[in-house]
Order: sequence, then structure tokens, then C-alpha cells
Amino acid sequence: MTSMCEATTRALPGAAVIELRGEVDGSAAAVLSAAYERAVEAGHAGRDATDSDPGTVVLDFAAVDYINSTGIALIVSVLARARAERRKVVASGLSAHYREIFDITRLSDFIELFPDLDRAVSQLTGPAA
Amino acid sequence: MTHAVRPTPRRLDAFTLASEPGNERLALARVADCVADVGLGPARLERLKTAVAEATMNAIEHGNGNQPEILVEIEVTQNGDDIIVAISDRGGVTHADSGDHAEPDLVKKLDGEQSPRGWGLFLIRNMVDAMDIRTDGQRHTIWLTMRTGGDAHDEHV
Repeated sequence: MTSMCEATTRALPGAAVIELRGEVDGSAAAVLSAAYERAVEAGHAGRDATDSDPGTVVLDFAAVDYINSTGIALIVSVLARARAERRKVVASGLSAHYREIFDITRLSDFIELFPDLDRAVSQLTGPAA
Repeated sequence: MTHAVRPTPRRLDAFTLASEPGNERLALARVADCVADVGLGPARLERLKTAVAEATMNAIEHGNGNQPEILVEIEVTQNGDDIIVAISDRGGVTHADSGDHAEPDLVKKLDGEQSPRGWGLFLIRNMVDAMDIRTDGQRHTIWLTMRTGGDAHDEHV
């Protein structure tokens, strides 16, 4: 009944998207860390070398069916790393329940929440993206 | 003088689980099944599921040390409007829950002054209407209470 976390990354102008699937729990640590690395690399590859903006990382949770406290800790670690690198982190696709948990933990004070990935991407890259 | 008639508590389910990481998902699914018809709204049911999963994780990891042969005991009772889930392990007074009542501080976690972990009890406290922890010898039990009445504040989540 459990499903391991999987992640795919893709680059957009000024943003890198990490689409997560399955469960974000302790077993997702390596997956999330590797996805962040790929997202950052993809973001660099997609930008002008003179662009000093480190860009935005989008965490898409639309296909995530479970997040536990260890998963919250992993998200905190990603956010801490991104902040140290002056990257913005936004999230999309969270269910109402997990939006509530992002509010309770105050993650939503630091991670802007979008209802879905399309709206996050549209906001970050403009309507032409 | 009249006395209110107190309803008799009704056991909805009782079961045990091996102390293996991941079995908290079995606990939340089984508890969700047995409270499906008691009148919890969808949002409150999700909160109870999260609380049960976190408490069972704590029992497996901190109480029973991930030793599969030591069982986590779970009992679900309805007492009037209250759904009470009791989750017991053998962690005794050394249970990590016993000293983990500090509020996690996200800013400190982001600044590296606190571990990124330590959200379990905080989440449990914020998910249910009441939480109680008691230790009797080696037996360590957390009681989670969720009221079936008054679902009005479900609407805003």
C-alpha cells in the first residue's frame, strides 16, 4: 500500500520544477536531495550566464498522497539549502490537508503556495511560458 | 434531580502491529476504516489519520526501537461524541516523546539552530482535539481524542 517517492525535474526560464510522486517520508531523503541537485543544475543550464538571479525551485505535490513529519523535515532541509543559495521555493498541488500542515508548521510563511503547477509556472514565468 | 445518562464506551477496533517502519500506514488505514461511519467530516478525518500515523511512527521508532517482535497496540473507542485512539508501546519512561514537548521553531531550523526534525508531537497536538500521554511501567500510551460533533470549522480548511 506504500509507494516510494519518485521525482522528475525540468527547467523553465527562471525556475526549475521538481514533480514529486508517491510518499514524502523518511525514504524520500535521497530522492529529494538528488532532485534538488538536478533542478539546480537544470536551472543553471537554462539561464544566461550573466543572470545573477539563482532562480526559483517549484515543488509540485499534486501526485503526492502522503507526507509525514519526516517528510516535513526533508522539506525544511530543502528550504534551508535554497535560502542559503538565495533561491526562492514555491509549492503547488498540495491538498487542503497538507496546506493546513504547511500553515501550522509555518512553512507557508517561507514557501508560496499555488493551487496547481500551471498557476505556479504561469506566475513565475509569465503567460507566454 | 436528574442525571445525564452517560453513554457506554464502545470499542470500534483493537489490533496490534509489528514495530517496522512503514506500518504506520497500516494503522492509519485501519483506523480510518473503523471510524468511517461515526460522523467525522473529511478534514477532521484527515487530521485524525495524520495524528494516528505520527503517534504510531513514534511508538514504532522511539517506543519499541524498530524491533518488529515488539508490538504496537492500537485501540479505537467511541465514547459519546468522542473518538479515542489509544496507541501503546513498551518505551516506558525513556520514550523519546517524554522529553519532546518543545515547540519546533521553523526559523531556528532554517538557521541551523534546531534539527529539521522534531515535528511529530507538534503535528499530533495540532491535529486532534485532545492528546494525553501516560506511562505505566514499560507501557507508554498516547490517547488521541477527536470529537465527532462540531465539524463547523472543517469548512475553512
